[in-house]
Amino acid sequence: MNALEVVNLTKTFGAIVAVDNASFEVPEGCIFGLIGRNGAGKTTTIRIMMGIYLPDGGEIKLRGSGIGQEFKNRSGYLPEERGLYKRMKVMDTLLYFAEIKGKTGKEIERRAEYYLKRFDLFDRRLSKIEDLSKGNQQKIQFIITVLHDPEFVVLDEPFSGMDPINTDILKEMILEMKSRGKVIIFSTHLMDFAEKLCDQIAMIDHGKIILQGSLKDIKSKYAHQNVSLEYSGDISFLESTPIIDKISDFGNSKGIRVKKPEDIQSLLKLLVDHNVAITKFNANEISLHEIFVELAGGDAGASIEGKASHV
Amino acid sequence: MFNYRVVAIVKRELKEKLLSKSFIISTLLIPLFIFGIIIVQGVVMQFKGDKYTILEIISESPALSIELESAFLKDKAIKESKYSITYKSMSRAQADKYVEGKNSELIDGKIEGIVFVPETAFKDKGIEYYSKTPQAFAVTSKISGPVNACLMDLFFKDKPIADEELKYARSNVSVKTYKVSVEKKVEEAGIGNLILAYLFSFLLYFSLIMLGSQTMQSVIDEKNSRIVEILLSSVHSRELLTGKILGVAITGVFQMAIWLLPAFMLISTTWFALPPQLSLDVSPWLLLYFLFNYFVGMITFIGLFAMVGAIFDNAQDAQSGMWPIMLAIMIPFFITFSMANNPNNPLANAASLLPLASIIIMPAKMTITGVAAWKVILSVLINLATVAAVFALAGKIYRVGILRTGTKPKWSDVVKWLQYKY
Repeated sequence: MNALEVVNLTKTFGAIVAVDNASFEVPEGCIFGLIGRNGAGKTTTIRIMMGIYLPDGGEIKLRGSGIGQEFKNRSGYLPEERGLYKRMKVMDTLLYFAEIKGKTGKEIERRAEYYLKRFDLFDRRLSKIEDLSKGNQQKIQFIITVLHDPEFVVLDEPFSGMDPINTDILKEMILEMKSRGKVIIFSTHLMDFAEKLCDQIAMIDHGKIILQGSLKDIKSKYAHQNVSLEYSGDISFLESTPIIDKISDFGNSKGIRVKKPEDIQSLLKLLVDHNVAITKFNANEISLHEIFVELAGGDAGASIEGKASHV
Repeated sequence: MFNYRVVAIVKRELKEKLLSKSFIISTLLIPLFIFGIIIVQGVVMQFKGDKYTILEIISESPALSIELESAFLKDKAIKESKYSITYKSMSRAQADKYVEGKNSELIDGKIEGIVFVPETAFKDKGIEYYSKTPQAFAVTSKISGPVNACLMDLFFKDKPIADEELKYARSNVSVKTYKVSVEKKVEEAGIGNLILAYLFSFLLYFSLIMLGSQTMQSVIDEKNSRIVEILLSSVHSRELLTGKILGVAITGVFQMAIWLLPAFMLISTTWFALPPQLSLDVSPWLLLYFLFNYFVGMITFIGLFAMVGAIFDNAQDAQSGMWPIMLAIMIPFFITFSMANNPNNPLANAASLLPLASIIIMPAKMTITGVAAWKVILSVLINLATVAAVFALAGKIYRVGILRTGTKPKWSDVVKWLQYKY
């Protein structure tokens, strides 16, 4: 069962086509990643989802029927560029954002207190937002996103500008929401995050969906004939070897594609014969990064970060 | 359009505005400021700067010279301003030469001016004034009175007219004003209503501009801090705009009610007695109408200010969008002053039914003079229609602009936004 269905979504801004006939599905209870480089159309797609923009064409269906205020009420949204009312007090801020979602009363206050305690911010509940550190302001934003107990959590580039501690807190929250059966949708250009967190992905490039499905299926489809290699020594001889299709450099590791599946054994033998010290030889393994580069073309590699230093 | 989301936004705006220091300070300071302006204006207008003026008065007959000297010595205004005047008598030809000879002294300012009273003045009362600055009204206005008196005295001297008759001829007409209205008997009118009308206009002017630019700034802040994106994920942009405008408008009306409280006390109780020339002839309904009109005006102009805030990224750029709104507030404000001379002048009449202008002019007009009920109702309808139009326009532009950052948009871009499907 799909929680959300995006059908032939199109959005243009003047001459720019931000989203071009995009379709994908978000199944129930999953972590869904919308992946693409900067400017690919991720934020526009998410803003249409949240009802911030109206699409020029196409629609988004919430469990079969049209999306609208109901979806807004039942979802928590954390935009990429995040702001708060600087002069408002912490507790007032939390209760205000819950109130515009239609949640008021003692129960919400208790939930707010619970989250503030959990993030060590309970003693700051009467402070003004502007007196909080940037990291603590981010924590307040996390709380705003989930305080009204949304069924959908929508995060636009959630890890941008976050320190390692908040990154971990957010990851923990995402996994916790998943365990409680919520749907988490996030966009990112960080392939490693997507690879570690997502069950389902859709890749978007130049406004078009170029790939979508469950991460497992996608990886197994693209992984055969592929080896992820970590080593020390010289492997430049491979470039003139006929069984090799392509070598991609990822810094610590190399992604090697052979021409036929059975060539993987020959590759291993070649490496041993050439005295290459292998520390990791992972057959039928491919990173999301490699898949993306392959699908979106060479120039995509430059604008996609394969590694995030603090994963 | 009114739902719990709008209510929540209104509540937040009210909490932020009503409980702020700036609200309390502006509520106290703006009336002081307005009185200050009125007083300063009065003092500045009084200041004539013609003390110790040096004049020469030449007449063609020695008899007139003596007469003039005694008249000027007696004149109160001349005495107060400590003029020093020398009197001469000479013929026309001599006087022309004399003035020519005094040319350099006149230019250096050693002598402020030379007054020449020719014999012909007994026929046409024409006198001449030579000066570097002949347009100095403060001086010429002081001269004409005593000269006129002397000319009259000498003219009637040998004629069989009694002093009493002469005194009557000299006196001016004094006009006592009575206001006629539909509901009341003829009443002697003071300038109280005029002052109240000015006060209304000043308060409207200041608070519209003050709260308007505050709202604009807060929209720019919301846009810059990107908080608006979180808000729009919960509420529709129209709800956000409505909540914001209502919040500010309610704050404004509350503030205005505080300001009008003294006026309300004056007209509805007998606790305070005003001198008759300042007496107010208004009903409490007028004040209520004024508050209602102010609320409608607030919504209209705050909508426009919020729209401008949404278009631009920063206050500097927003200045260029603000001036049309400022003009729409300032021009009617100045028109209300034209009503001091004639409340029913055609400009004020037309503008009192013009969208936007009506909001500022009608209350002042109603305070000074009677306005037909149908005109009042028409103006209310026009104002309400204006609110609807402004809301439709501002809502659309607000929705597009609020999420837009980067280069300063051109006006042609803004027009294109109206066609966007957002």
